[in-house]
Amino acid sequence: MKNSFIIFRKEIREIIRNKNIWMPILIITLIFSIAMPLFLTLLSDSIFQDEDTVKFMEKVFGEVENPERVLVDFMTKQFLVFLLMIPAMVPSLIAPASVLMEKENNTLEPLLGTPIRTSELLMGKALTAMIPAFVISTINFLILTAVVDIAIYSKMGYLPLPTAEWIIVALILSPILSFILTMISVIVSSRSTDIRSAQGIGSVIILPIYLIIGLQIAGFFLINITYLLLACLVFFIFCPVLLRIAVRIFDRENILTRWKMKA
Amino acid sequence: MIAVQDLTKEFGTVTAVENISFSISESEIFGFLGPNGAGKTTTIRLLSTLIGPTSGSISIDGRDPGKDGSYIRSITGLLTETPGLYEKISAYANLDYFSSFYSIADDRRASNIERYLRMFGLWERRNDLAGTYSKGMKQKLALCRALIHEPKILFLDEPTAGLDPASAHMVRSFIESLKEDRITVFLCTHNLAEASSLSDRVCFIKRKIIRIATLDELQDRDKNKRVEIVFKEDAERYRDLLEGMDGIKGLDIRENTASVFVEDPDNTNPGMIRELIDNNIEILYINQIKASLEDIYLDLIKDEEVK
Repeated sequence: MKNSFIIFRKEIREIIRNKNIWMPILIITLIFSIAMPLFLTLLSDSIFQDEDTVKFMEKVFGEVENPERVLVDFMTKQFLVFLLMIPAMVPSLIAPASVLMEKENNTLEPLLGTPIRTSELLMGKALTAMIPAFVISTINFLILTAVVDIAIYSKMGYLPLPTAEWIIVALILSPILSFILTMISVIVSSRSTDIRSAQGIGSVIILPIYLIIGLQIAGFFLINITYLLLACLVFFIFCPVLLRIAVRIFDRENILTRWKMKA
Repeated sequence: MIAVQDLTKEFGTVTAVENISFSISESEIFGFLGPNGAGKTTTIRLLSTLIGPTSGSISIDGRDPGKDGSYIRSITGLLTETPGLYEKISAYANLDYFSSFYSIADDRRASNIERYLRMFGLWERRNDLAGTYSKGMKQKLALCRALIHEPKILFLDEPTAGLDPASAHMVRSFIESLKEDRITVFLCTHNLAEASSLSDRVCFIKRKIIRIATLDELQDRDKNKRVEIVFKEDAERYRDLLEGMDGIKGLDIRENTASVFVEDPDNTNPGMIRELIDNNIEILYINQIKASLEDIYLDLIKDEEVK
């Protein structure tokens, strides 16, 4: 375990120095956690003046007593899916960079020549992707909660967040999702020779998340606790399968003989 | 210190090394020679527990790599074919990072880093990014990394590749000095002069082991033993005389020098010299020409190809 933290410590320093990794994360935070909720909350008055929106609201929610409050609840559920983008995106940016940096520098062989175990190496790489994903997701969760609460409280006098759904996403679904994306990124990186292609494949892998976001925005379904718990269960079942594949790929001999290395 | 028995490594349908056996004693420098693709790097990887054998056994310091991989890696140092350094961190940080995986006290680690960086002339540039180093400096830094934890066994894959003559000489002297510290060295090299000057024994490999011997033994068994005789006059005048002598296998004459190939120099040379003197032939010098490791290597590889 000590060796995993040695790897984690070194890699985190390098990630902090690499703006190609943290810049997209910062932009996503600014857009989805601050600008968008602020913009939508402040424009909520004009939303209710738009006839099409009112019709859409009636179609989705039927006749309701307090349409503004229903809209706020609806919007907070929409933001919820954006919150899932962070734990999905961060590992797919960090893990390929972390694995491929070793390949580009040809450092895997001397690294494996030290007493480190391959499981410790895998854990070090996984922690490098998962801990920032969890920290950044939590920060986004707190920022988004604060922004929405402040904006709504100032207009409507109540605090809509956090809800049970938000807590499930922040504390259960996000870590599971970042674990899955970390393992997938590690698996993809073992077959790539450059960071961009691995990150490209990584961004394709998170397409299902975008699909869920799109379907919810289009009104096909609305995320609720049942859906979220079901998603947690399904993703959780995938975890040991992906871990097993990653451990097999992170076999000492596999790394040296089958991984595509830079010449 | 190292014992290898009937070791075979296959990658799918390709056999990289086949049934190789050898043993290396403590503080021995063991030269490992062979053409490209002969299985040298595979052997180093097998010995340093990076990969496992298909069959056969390895014992390092009395331990089995399959069971005690971590222990074996803790007492061995590995210099890989490419330096393999983190280019975006400093030379010092590279050594600090790699050495932190070994169980050495922090103060000793720091003093070892300083000792080796100074020894290889890199101390003044310790805070420079490794990526800014020249090829030779990277090679020296990689060598520092292999030594930082004071290993008992050192696996060196082409240690002087990319070094300028002065640095290469310094590294060779350093390798030679490791004997005093009782460090066992497994030296993989293409540089035959280096192998012959450093190694206690050399091993020729081409998938299988062709020969393991000391340089003297190899030279004794050389089938192209020859004596070089420098005459005062044109050597061509004595061709018939030399060709007519017993024990002479062949003759190569250039100006006043005759290279005489003999089967058994100890028995042939005294009679040949006596006969030349009896014929009042004036001789300036007589030299025994020992085959270089390069000659022996080329012969062995050629024989292997014929087989």
